[in-house]
Amino acid sequence: MSNIIEIKNVTYNYTEDEVEYTAVNNVSLDIKRGSFTVILGHNGSGKSTLAKMMNGLNKPTVGDIFVDGINTKDEETELLIKRKVGMVFQNPDNQLVASIVEEDVAFGPENLGLEPKLIRQRVDEALESVGMLEFKNSTPHHLSGGQKQRIAIAGMIAMRPECLILDEPTAMLDPKGRAEIITTIEHLNKQGMTVVLITHYMEEAQNADRVLVMNDGKFIADGTPKEIFKNVSMLKSVGLDVPQTTELLYALNQNGISVPTDVLSIEETANAIAAFLEEK
Amino acid sequence: MLKDITFGQYFDSESVIHKADPRIKIVLLIFVIVFIFLSKNFWGLGLSALFILITMLVSKIPLKMYFKNLKAILPILIFTSIINIFYGEGDVLFSIFGKLDVTVGGLERAGFMALRIMLLIIASSTLTYATTPNDLTDGIESLLSPLRFIGLKTAVHTLAMMMTIALRFIPTLVEEAEKIMNAQKARGADLESGNLKEKIKALIPILIPLLFSAVRRAAELADAMECRCYNSGEGKTRMKQLKLHFRDFSITAITLIFGAGVILLNIFM
Amino acid sequence: MSVLKVQGLSHTYGGNTPFYSDAVSNVSFTVEQGEMIGIIGHTGSGKSTLVQHLNGILKPTEGEIFIDGENIWEKPKEIRKIRSKVGLVFQYPEYQLFEETVYADIAFGPKNMGLSGDELKKRVLDTCRLIGVKDEYLEKSPFDLSGGEKRRVAIAGVMAMRPKIIVFDEPTAGLDPKGRQDIIKIINDYRTAFNATVIIISHSMEDMAVMADKLLVLSKGEVVMFDDTEKVFAQGDRLRSIGLNVPIVTRVFDALRQRGIDLPQDVFTVSRAVEVLKQIKAGDRNA
Repeated sequence: MSNIIEIKNVTYNYTEDEVEYTAVNNVSLDIKRGSFTVILGHNGSGKSTLAKMMNGLNKPTVGDIFVDGINTKDEETELLIKRKVGMVFQNPDNQLVASIVEEDVAFGPENLGLEPKLIRQRVDEALESVGMLEFKNSTPHHLSGGQKQRIAIAGMIAMRPECLILDEPTAMLDPKGRAEIITTIEHLNKQGMTVVLITHYMEEAQNADRVLVMNDGKFIADGTPKEIFKNVSMLKSVGLDVPQTTELLYALNQNGISVPTDVLSIEETANAIAAFLEEK
Repeated sequence: MLKDITFGQYFDSESVIHKADPRIKIVLLIFVIVFIFLSKNFWGLGLSALFILITMLVSKIPLKMYFKNLKAILPILIFTSIINIFYGEGDVLFSIFGKLDVTVGGLERAGFMALRIMLLIIASSTLTYATTPNDLTDGIESLLSPLRFIGLKTAVHTLAMMMTIALRFIPTLVEEAEKIMNAQKARGADLESGNLKEKIKALIPILIPLLFSAVRRAAELADAMECRCYNSGEGKTRMKQLKLHFRDFSITAITLIFGAGVILLNIFM
Repeated sequence: MSVLKVQGLSHTYGGNTPFYSDAVSNVSFTVEQGEMIGIIGHTGSGKSTLVQHLNGILKPTEGEIFIDGENIWEKPKEIRKIRSKVGLVFQYPEYQLFEETVYADIAFGPKNMGLSGDELKKRVLDTCRLIGVKDEYLEKSPFDLSGGEKRRVAIAGVMAMRPKIIVFDEPTAGLDPKGRQDIIKIINDYRTAFNATVIIISHSMEDMAVMADKLLVLSKGEVVMFDDTEKVFAQGDRLRSIGLNVPIVTRVFDALRQRGIDLPQDVFTVSRAVEVLKQIKAGDRNA
């Protein structure tokens, strides 16, 4: 089977103060094995609710989600699904359970009941793959936000999931921490891990295979990064973070200087403007 | 500063007591406490004191660390001593208000009690200074594990999990408390002056946000633990296995010999 | 007279807590009334430590702080008075809300300053109007508001004390673009209404380029630069050497100049970039 996750016509409703709200509204999506998918959306667009449904933490009100062919509603396979689909949250502090890095990373494999020797091996490998092996005896409390978030990712990898979902993993980090996490995620994906990244920073999507934009519980756009980034006014209208390069190219177009808007990097942007200047 | 308490009791050094198995250390501490209480005379207590002095030196923990702990219980120490001074028998040295007699026996008794309390504190301090909180938790869990045979398996595991999470989150929450305190100070809150009632009232702006934050963290942590296949310890293994080494047997043997000595001194002196 | 003067300020944390090495050493600078100052620097460069001195939350190990020419530690017992002159909005300020209603929470600061009755009420309502906290929110519990609204209320709580200097530690952290713009707007509104001095810690060079008159650059607890925003951003190499950078739009223009295109060096904002390129376009047409 080439899809690790299949979301079929899923709706999620919740009740607050006796009023019913729809967080996710009739959404369908397949996640291909080994792919890097980014879901963009502002706070309250339903993206986090959708993420929590992908590993069975939330169950759809209507519709079904299949992980590796197993329905997430099936209670008997609940642990199996969590093992197949790992999840990393926004606040790194609130995901770490132990006060020594390597013991925290071991928490998942320990819960799976693995042999001590095998746990040791997996913990070291996981820490290595996020570049935190040298901190294995540190206390998380003394690490930076980006480092803590990498520990949280290692804790998931040590369980050997088939897919990793990251729900705004960079929202609370400084620019250095953000860069660390994005590099780590891209590295893991290159090694074959299926990645679903949920964020409101558009530039984090630039190396994705597929980008979806979510608003009011629905997908309003779906395509490659270039296809999505072309439509700057749509991205801005749903409250997404647009990098300053895009901002600049967009503003130039608004002012009668026509340059392409589907580029992101500084070099590409400079090329686009240079091309315009040469035309003159 | 609030932060000081969080770096807690552990004092890092490379002594044999640090390296010893936490289970052995906990059991031996209980044993030492028992023989301190069994000491009936100054001879027995003296031998206990000698033993504890040796462990202090072997542990390479600075003496001032012990004084810090002793200072904390100074009021209790003084209180017990004073009470005991008046409960002795024997020659009356002098009387206060003509009713409270201070006797030689009383003085001896006060000194004996004070020394005993001090030894208890020092012995316990050695354990907490020389053992990381994580090791302590592991040791306690391991020692309590026989309880699973009487159907308390989940209880033992839950207790250990609670201790682990507490160790992990105490520094985070202390730091947060400090941040909230500073934020309320910045809004002109007065946390220092006023009588007791006013001081307690002044804590509300700190405690309420802290409580909300702890609840929020707990909810997020619960989700994260679920995602990491936490299942109330069902079928759980451990990466780090506690193993007994030669040194653990040696330490046990030495402690037992001193214990026997205390009992002998009780009988013959 | 300068509204704020920091002279030779050093702060070292207690010996046995090596993990809080966010110290500052020998920091000096002066700020005039009405200026908007940006503080930039790495995590751990001492930014948060520095600003907590400005309203006397932290006491300097060495050095002095003068507000309106008065040494704030002249009478240590009266340090609380300084907090109505210098407001400090911490990171994620919404986590300090505690009262039952939005009104009561905003009133906490002014009440601590000694305001009461009609004066207090007017102060709270004026502040809400200024920064757009809706009347219908006043009797709500602050815990029922959305993330962005909570932060607005928390900031209102400090603004209601009417500080002449107001300091923000990463006021837009964790917000989405809409929330960020809202916060930037209320900061500007407060500054305009009271000719207040504003000091902002930020990681966003792009925001700083638009907002700040001057930048204070910190690295390892020391002031590396303190100058007009344009002059600081003109020294890209120096900023990069301490792990910071110039705004992205400036980097695009640097890349263009490297291609041999003759462009001005003072482009730090998108609007300036558009203006420059429009001029070139118009110039070509005229030629």
